[in-house]
Amino acid sequence: VIALALAGLRARRSRSLLAAAGVLAASLVVGTATTVGFGLATGFERSAREADLPDVIARFDAEGRETLDERVRALPNLAARSYRMEHNNVPLAANGNFTHRGAVHVVLGGRRGYLVTEGRDLSGRAGELVVEQGLAREWDLEVGDRMRLGHSEVAGVVGIAVSPDNVAFPLARAARVYVPERFAASEPANLALLWLNDPSEADVTLTQARAVSFGLGRLEFVTREGVRVLLGQAAGIVISLLVAFSLVALAAAGTMLAAGAHADVQRRLGALGVQRALGISPARIGALQATEAALVAVPAAALGIALGAVAVAGPAAALLAALNELPPGGALLLPLAGTLAAVTTIVVAAATWPAWRAARRPPVEILRGGTIAAATRRSSAGAGTARPSAAATPRSSPGAGLAALGARFATAARARWLASVATIGVCAGVVTLMLALASLLERLRDDPGTVGKRYQLTAALDPSLADEVRAIPGVADAAPRFVADAADSFRLDEPFRLVAYPGDHTRFEAPPLAAGRRLRSADEIEVGVGLADALGLQPGSALAAQLPSGEEVRFRVAGVVRALENSGRIAWTRPDRLTGLSPALAVRLDGGADRDAVERALEELGAPPQPVGGATTRNAAFLGVLAAVLRGVGLAVGLVCLYALVQALAMTARERRGAVALLRACGGDAHTVACVLAGAAAAVAVPGALLGVALELTVFGPLVARLAAGFAALPIAPTGGQVALVVAGLLALAGAATALVARRVLREPVVAGLREE
Amino acid sequence: MRRAAVAGLVALAVAGCGGEPASAPSATSTLHATLVDRDGDGFLERGPGEPLTGPEGGRVLATFGQLTDAHVRDEESPARVPFLDRLGPPLTSTFRPQEAFSTQVLDAAVRALARERPQAVVVTGDIVDSAQENELDQALAVLRGDVVRPDTGGPGYDGVQEASNPDPFYFRPDHDAPRHPGALAAAQRRFRAAGLPVRWYPAVGNHDVLVQGEVPATDAIEDVAEGDRLVTGLDPSFQPPTLDEDEVRTLLADGELFGRAETVPADPARRHLAPADLVERLAAAAGVRPVAGRLDYTFDLGAEVRGIVLDTADRAGGSRGVVTADQLAWLRGQLAGDRWTVVFAHNPLEASDGGEAALELLDRTPQVVAVVSGHRHRNAIERRDGYWLIGTASLADFPQQARMFRLREADGGAVLETWTVDHDGLGLAGTARELAFLDAQGGRPQGLAGERSDRNVRLFVQP
Repeated sequence: VIALALAGLRARRSRSLLAAAGVLAASLVVGTATTVGFGLATGFERSAREADLPDVIARFDAEGRETLDERVRALPNLAARSYRMEHNNVPLAANGNFTHRGAVHVVLGGRRGYLVTEGRDLSGRAGELVVEQGLAREWDLEVGDRMRLGHSEVAGVVGIAVSPDNVAFPLARAARVYVPERFAASEPANLALLWLNDPSEADVTLTQARAVSFGLGRLEFVTREGVRVLLGQAAGIVISLLVAFSLVALAAAGTMLAAGAHADVQRRLGALGVQRALGISPARIGALQATEAALVAVPAAALGIALGAVAVAGPAAALLAALNELPPGGALLLPLAGTLAAVTTIVVAAATWPAWRAARRPPVEILRGGTIAAATRRSSAGAGTARPSAAATPRSSPGAGLAALGARFATAARARWLASVATIGVCAGVVTLMLALASLLERLRDDPGTVGKRYQLTAALDPSLADEVRAIPGVADAAPRFVADAADSFRLDEPFRLVAYPGDHTRFEAPPLAAGRRLRSADEIEVGVGLADALGLQPGSALAAQLPSGEEVRFRVAGVVRALENSGRIAWTRPDRLTGLSPALAVRLDGGADRDAVERALEELGAPPQPVGGATTRNAAFLGVLAAVLRGVGLAVGLVCLYALVQALAMTARERRGAVALLRACGGDAHTVACVLAGAAAAVAVPGALLGVALELTVFGPLVARLAAGFAALPIAPTGGQVALVVAGLLALAGAATALVARRVLREPVVAGLREE
Repeated sequence: MRRAAVAGLVALAVAGCGGEPASAPSATSTLHATLVDRDGDGFLERGPGEPLTGPEGGRVLATFGQLTDAHVRDEESPARVPFLDRLGPPLTSTFRPQEAFSTQVLDAAVRALARERPQAVVVTGDIVDSAQENELDQALAVLRGDVVRPDTGGPGYDGVQEASNPDPFYFRPDHDAPRHPGALAAAQRRFRAAGLPVRWYPAVGNHDVLVQGEVPATDAIEDVAEGDRLVTGLDPSFQPPTLDEDEVRTLLADGELFGRAETVPADPARRHLAPADLVERLAAAAGVRPVAGRLDYTFDLGAEVRGIVLDTADRAGGSRGVVTADQLAWLRGQLAGDRWTVVFAHNPLEASDGGEAALELLDRTPQVVAVVSGHRHRNAIERRDGYWLIGTASLADFPQQARMFRLREADGGAVLETWTVDHDGLGLAGTARELAFLDAQGGRPQGLAGERSDRNVRLFVQP
């Protein structure tokens, strides 16, 4: 069977190469998506495991270690503990670089919670320090370099470390270094690292920790899961998007492979009929087809996946480094091998199944032609005939008529046309998604609306002016926004931000619900996850808030929300029971509003508006890395698009070889042929583009948003310009495909085509 | 058929009269199996038992059990000070996550101990938590096998552990991990207790006669206890450490509890019993005769063993035990004769005022086998000259164990076999033990279960 398959492939060398090119292009997408997706999706867990990241990190005001340890060691489920003293805003200088935002962690023994990737760990001697990898990269630090800490202390770099409890400098504003205890002898601690025997029972440990924390100021717990969420809030929304995008790209590539393989078999139905007529059994035909498909798919997929992985490995590693995470290294081989197996399986199954199905029909029926299912349903309007219909050729515009003819050629075999359109549609959908993602990333940087805040401006105006503000063109809504720095009245050292709007606050701020429901009355409150963790709040429990006025107000917790602001130590309610607070007006703009005009109008009302901040980094390097990753995936998808178009056109040209030869025999020149082929290409490309946009709007966008929307509601819809760009790009690709195929067609003697006809 | 039934009843009666226990330990005996946290996740699993080792000894002279420090409490009482718990040591026993389930735990321990088939059970004090009459009613109902009514005040739970309490320092079973929704409501439901099937003998503990085990009841405290103002939290501006035990005592004695308060239904059954009233009720329930207003008495454990119960609770206040000169004289009089003697008291004598004199007296008495106490909530066994000082863990804190004893003849003396008994963990008692184990101020971190040599051992006595 293998020999026969090889002979078959050799006999159809160019077609086999075309098929292999298709598999390679799709596998390129698979390789890039797998590399990016796997690296990012598993980055945190992998790094947390290798860096021995604690299961719980507790921050509090400095406390004597003995007192502290007495409480900590009594906690249930505790496997190990260690302490640090974190000094913030320490000036750091090295290699001509300087920051006054140094975070100096005095390591007070015990397990570290970081992984030394270069050099060695602290030995306990004074004058040593370990720097965070991000800082080392940014400042080009190496083991042996000297760094000035504070104004006079100088220490030598003995190691470079990674700890995924925060993103890396400079994505994180603080540059972190670790120093031994002797750097500042007799330190108290303000950071406790806890490792648990069963991390899934962390909430039980936290309950007990809260119960014994009286007197600890500004206590804040972060679990490993919480770190993941915090990272997600810092930069991981982008990561989630990329992972989600990779998953969609994988699904799309699978669809394209299946469609391509299926179409290839459709084209070869005649040959299958001959084989059946010669007495070859359906099973053997199926086996032969499977072998041929495997012989094409395995090397092409391996090469494509490898190329894809190599193409994005660098940017993906840089992205991981920016997040303080470790690259997957050899661990990536397994998923890549898995995708190779999956690609091969898809191609083989998609090629074998229709071949086997077709081969089970009587040979005569197969030889009579047509697709498997639609042979009897072909329209009589020329779908089954090679001759161009006179009626299909408008007299007024020969070019348009030829293009229409080409379109009819392309759509005559419905199943194959649909497969081609599906392939192009999926590709176009992925490209549209990428464009939408790119603009989303920009909005994440500039527009807080993407993560729950739906207002763009605030103005220190009297609430009575709300109606006037709403009347400003471009303003969608405006309402008083009350803000108070409250404290839990049982733990005055637990401050939080209390935000209140009259009526439905989700018109202005709608962080996603993590538990419970939205508030419905002035007695209820929605709390951020950070606050809920600190106070052990759940839907149904009570929150006692001490206001700046000294008044205590109790609320029933209606929901817990994933809020970014103030580390999640924030709560939303209605202002009815809050007294003595002066609100500002929150202003929500229309989609296409002229922001400058609205700002001018607000100024005229008496207060210059303040913009609301964005949600992700403006770090150029980080965004540059993201762009490189997206470009890598986009290039692969573009190649698939081109392949699919070329394949569709080549098949059409092959099938309509006689008709095209007839046209040429009747005086049709290269232009005529190009018009026919362009029509055929447009018949695939235009519906494919429209399908792609529809797919992005209805499937890919919502799917990616849902996958990535652990903590935010993300609008991933393309703009009109982006849709136009996709359509134009596809048409350009169609033009390129037309040119390629037309060249080949014109090289063939007219007689050859006519003879076949 | 009838003859067989009679034979069965006779067999049960013989067993109930305190013969030698069956050789196979019961399911709750730690000789067979006990509870351990093998994986360190904070939750207990069934683990291997801790069988007795060494020469077994001969004929059984007596078999008896001990329950101690049940701290049956009215957790809804306004006279409680659970908010002091957050200040840490030495005030860590004013609130326990499992405190609403004290009657259920005592009932589970009674059931477990009954399976060990003791001749008698000694309840070594702190049977209640704060000297309230309704607490004693509940505790006695459990021991007698009556219907127990744990709910006090108004119907349902009105206390600091309600889910609606915003104070994060209290464990709120309805929404704090590990969640036990509905447990508080279930704890208020009346139930019929199993009851001890054998005679039981009480000793008085400081919590039986003093408010919170610390101060004698005053009119002011009475007003608080029977009132409708439940103080639930400290003034939030209050910062430790400025409070010591003396300040707490003063605070309690004045009845001026500070901090935030809730209104709860008043309940006159929360009155505090005068020590004499308590002694009288305990004596009546157990069928013993007190001496001069204190619950000092003796009882027989079969023909060859005698028990002596000392009342060590200091009526003047404070948790430290006391043995008065009169008690010492009375004790001296009880030590005559050649029967094996076991002394029971709530407070360890070695940590009681006048206790050392009592111990010296016992040192000179060769028939003394052991001094058995509670109070410290800790399993502990120490040798003292010719006899043993045995402390037993409480039912209030982890490990919530009772203790069994079996005295046997041995060459040249006697051997006292002792082993701990886990309660059966059924229903809310199981929840209580889970929470007691997790409690970061409770018996687990304090190591109250002791070492194996503090639990299941054979102790030799040579007169």
